[in-house]
Amino acid sequence: MHEFLAQLANGVELGAIYALIALGYTLVYGILELINFAHGDVYTFGSFTALVVLVALRAANVLHGGGLILGIVAALLVAILACALLNAAIERLAYRRLRKAPRLAPLITAIGVSFMLENLIELWQGSAPVAFPNVIPNPELSIGALQVGVQQIVVVALAIVTMIALHYFVQRSRLGKAMRAVAQDRDAASLVGINVDRTIAITFLIAGALAGVAGFVGGVSFGSAWFLNGFGAGLRAFTAAVLGGIGNIAGAMLGGFLIGLLESFSTWFIGGQWSNVAVFSVLILVLVFRPSGLLGESLPEKV
Amino acid sequence: MRSPRIAALAALLLLAAPLTACSSGPAPASTTIGIGVDLPLSGADASVGTSTLDGIKLAVDRANAKGVPGGFTFAVQALDDTQQGVHNPQQGASNVRTLIADDSVLAIIGPYNSNVAAAEIPITNEAGIVQISPSAVSDGLTLGKDAAMLRRANPDVNTFFRVCTTDSRQGSAAARFALDLKLKRVYIVDDNETYGLDLANVFARDFAKLGGTVLGRDHIAPDTQDFKALLLKIKGYKPDFIFFGGTTSTGGGLLRRQMFDVGMGKLPFMGGDGIPDIAEVAKKRADGTYYTVAAPNADLLPAAKKFVASYKAKFGSDVGPYSANAYAATEVAISAIEQAIIANGKKMPTRAQVLAKIPRSAKNEVHTPIGPISFDKYGDVRKPVISLYVIRNGRSSFIEQLNLSE
Repeated sequence: MHEFLAQLANGVELGAIYALIALGYTLVYGILELINFAHGDVYTFGSFTALVVLVALRAANVLHGGGLILGIVAALLVAILACALLNAAIERLAYRRLRKAPRLAPLITAIGVSFMLENLIELWQGSAPVAFPNVIPNPELSIGALQVGVQQIVVVALAIVTMIALHYFVQRSRLGKAMRAVAQDRDAASLVGINVDRTIAITFLIAGALAGVAGFVGGVSFGSAWFLNGFGAGLRAFTAAVLGGIGNIAGAMLGGFLIGLLESFSTWFIGGQWSNVAVFSVLILVLVFRPSGLLGESLPEKV
Repeated sequence: MRSPRIAALAALLLLAAPLTACSSGPAPASTTIGIGVDLPLSGADASVGTSTLDGIKLAVDRANAKGVPGGFTFAVQALDDTQQGVHNPQQGASNVRTLIADDSVLAIIGPYNSNVAAAEIPITNEAGIVQISPSAVSDGLTLGKDAAMLRRANPDVNTFFRVCTTDSRQGSAAARFALDLKLKRVYIVDDNETYGLDLANVFARDFAKLGGTVLGRDHIAPDTQDFKALLLKIKGYKPDFIFFGGTTSTGGGLLRRQMFDVGMGKLPFMGGDGIPDIAEVAKKRADGTYYTVAAPNADLLPAAKKFVASYKAKFGSDVGPYSANAYAATEVAISAIEQAIIANGKKMPTRAQVLAKIPRSAKNEVHTPIGPISFDKYGDVRKPVISLYVIRNGRSSFIEQLNLSE
């Protein structure tokens, strides 16, 4: 029981990270029907941005007491901002001019952008893994039979707050409404006066911001950043998005948590070397038997 | 899903390769003898690879300063087998082909990693060129059926030698060290690579044979970031320590680091010579990591004092885990080349003539900072030594060493 709860907590932590990345895939797919393969690398960029800020703050010796919390918030905000701008820049430079091109063209471009980002990050930070500063003290708390670290709680809480904020933004705000309208029918949306280019740019900004949050919590949780991290994490998150129903926001969250739990429990039950097999078998099974994903059909709207 | 990316990157590298080859400059005709080197010189293995290369450079400089028979000079031709940040067997194989294509190269030092060696040995075997690795420890490179498969081109000719010892010697020494430290219950994890899996297999066998308890084993998948699920599972077994077969870059660093996240930070962590650089990923959390190195402690050997001093003077840094081995491997190669030059009437010898002069018995062993070296019929050293280190307060300190005679 004790171990079951510990694995459950770990799966939720891992799932929270995958869910945040999966949301980025799903938002962009919802509005453009493009699988943005560069998204995993935006996540890596977020990890490194947060890492660089934290290392600089630590060198300036301000990471203690109240400064620690401010420093963590600063690193998170810088990562969010940097990833949002990067993602919007990618859309503007690489995808916008391909909006009317056959669907394969932007897809291949996305893979190219992914390569570029990986290699630019390698140039910037080197090809060895870089240790992520241990900023969040990690004493274990016991809640009944469940033992969780403070770090775990921070990671999951941050992810859930972000997802709730996203939900309200998309459902309640004017911009969210515009995003849903463009996702439903781009031409009709522009007929009623919605600026389609701007709405798509905002979608990329938001997807990038989510990758920034994911990059930060991923760095905290895994303890290192590496220029190819985004490849593995991106593929798993993509699987999560497909599992939940690509284009569906609630589906991406659900899929993320399910994939995290699956990775954690498959490691426990069948061993570490099979966790990738378990995760990607799900991708194949979903694509074959239920391509629309778990929640894909139940909601007529996509974003 | 990964292969198209690798293919595309390989294509890019192929385009870049001739450029780097040219930039090292054309070798002046016939008076220069190339010492080919293949090591991981960038990426995750860069620090160990570079300090190994420095050992080779030191040996070559010393030979040139002393004067080479026939008026030749030695030149190091080093190639990097890193791709996407990790040592890569295909890149190693292509590097070795490049070196062999250059007629002035009479011996190759390297590679660092066993899986790279497995890709290179068939090529050097076919070309009949001497190859000496400072550190590739997997048993199958020299012993048994696996080694026979690698030598298919010339089954009776052995061109691959190593001055380090083997996984099985290292694994069984580690098992003895662990029991000396009163660590009796182990959980074993490996990275499923040639080196890591072999080391873990031997450790598991010998640790059980010597009376220790192996609670369980696990293998990790490439690209894994989260080891907490695995560690939580291990925690349930209540081991005295975790043994890891693998390198820092294939998961050792993150595994050690994340032990602290699941409340196992106080548990000792032990591994082989793949993790001396673990502090680069685990930082302060590397403390309490034990590792074996398949070489004597160069600081303690009287013959090595001079080597350590001149290494520090030349490169301004501490000796790396395999610098002394690399120096010794290069000395063995240079000694064989010099004898071949003399036997050939002070003219450029052939690769076969160099191969014939490799020391095979105690009579003609080469004296190096890691002790006298000669090889048995498989290509392994005759007098292996394994040392044990621990990381405390961020620094490696030597504990003890074992002399394993044949």
